[in-house]
Amino acid sequence: MERQHFIQELEQLKMTMLNMAALTRRAVGKAVQAYLTRDEALAREVIEGDRQINNLELEVDRLCLKLLALEQPMARDLRYIIGSTKISNELERIADQAVNIAERTQFLCQHPPLEPIKGMEQLAAVVEAMLDKAVSSLVDLDPKKAQEIRQMDDQADLHTLEVLQTLIDYMVQSTPMAERRLLKTRRSIQIIIISRCLERVADLSTNIGEYVAFIVTGINIKHQEIPPSLQA
Amino acid sequence: MENSVKISVRGLNFYYGGFKALDDISLDLKKNQVSALIGPSGCGKSTFLRCLNRMNDLIPISRVEGEIYLDHENICSPDIDVVNLRRRVGMVFQKPNPFPKTIFENVAYGLRVIGVRDKRDLRERVEKSLYQAALFDEVKDRLHESALGLSGGQQQRLCIARALAVEPEVVLMDEPASALDPIATQKIEDLIHELKKNFTIVIVTHSMQQAARVSDTTAFFYMGRLIETGDTETIFTRPSLKQTEDYITGRFG
Repeated sequence: MERQHFIQELEQLKMTMLNMAALTRRAVGKAVQAYLTRDEALAREVIEGDRQINNLELEVDRLCLKLLALEQPMARDLRYIIGSTKISNELERIADQAVNIAERTQFLCQHPPLEPIKGMEQLAAVVEAMLDKAVSSLVDLDPKKAQEIRQMDDQADLHTLEVLQTLIDYMVQSTPMAERRLLKTRRSIQIIIISRCLERVADLSTNIGEYVAFIVTGINIKHQEIPPSLQA
Repeated sequence: MENSVKISVRGLNFYYGGFKALDDISLDLKKNQVSALIGPSGCGKSTFLRCLNRMNDLIPISRVEGEIYLDHENICSPDIDVVNLRRRVGMVFQKPNPFPKTIFENVAYGLRVIGVRDKRDLRERVEKSLYQAALFDEVKDRLHESALGLSGGQQQRLCIARALAVEPEVVLMDEPASALDPIATQKIEDLIHELKKNFTIVIVTHSMQQAARVSDTTAFFYMGRLIETGDTETIFTRPSLKQTEDYITGRFG
């Protein structure tokens, strides 16, 4: 008595989750690239692509509700479904951060560039690597990536501080004309918001790693030390 | 507070002729808890249940090895008074099986067997049992009508009342709701929650959802062996063995 129908429905949920994760990963990559290369068209692509990710979140919710109501899933299946509702929510929020970065980028593209901000590229690189690990932990259902992602989060926090400090220094430098001073401050604030968005992506990626660990092991490691059995 | 152990099974083997139906089962069943036994057909869960009040004695080719302690007394011992054992360890079956008598007489039956004669005492005990079985309000005006006129769900609760009348310590339930509709099933499940305050309950069920809903601990049997046991929440959310996981997620069985 294999539950063929149930297993098929669960596979559909898994495919939807992977699709959503892949699109979200791509959205963040594009948003970062649009910012770094001042590519307004690419930024627009990120903003327009968000609807598809939102729709996938709704689809995941629908499938999870249906499976819970009709199939009474147990154990690992139950954890996968509960974990999916959580992870899809985090993915959707990550995609929203990508949109936010893209919108700031559109503003920045309409004004002359600032000189490169110290720490910004490194921050983007760490955050993208964290999101990569989060997505691959979901694809491989690998509970041990949670620890690696969590460790990288400290680096992301350091780079965020570095960016902030650079921009504060930049803003307090004297600029002769009031109009140019205002523009400089406005652009700096946009970049601070972008760094803040990246930092949020890092936090949300950490959460995804933790939910995957819960799906696989049944142990909830959120807000606590990672047990030795889950250390890489 | 940790509940104390009511029944302790140690190294239990059970044979139907040459067939070993239970293989080295050791399991503790705690007082005032509902313990569910789950597993696919033929896994030994009903055989195990019937060992607990020696119902299997009725099968001539059967043989038991090992010990079953009810409050430290080995009930497998040949000098146990089986009638008294079955008063202490009552049983409710899959299909409601009321006697073709009145509702009152069904419940009074066991009481008469154990020598209750006083009419008032008898009536009080019958009413108390019907009340405990959540049936009294539905039948109080027709206690002297035939039990066979009751609905299936009412008949099953009558059988529960009949089992409770002799004030057992343990109630064994073998698929008590499998012949009932969802509303009657829910009444039985609510009743089980209520009964564990006063009794120790062991239930065999094919419905994993039912085991999950009513029990405090769950034991998973497969091919005559006890594979895994633990508190119900753990068994259904994160069992430790793959075999258990596969069974409760419907991957086999």
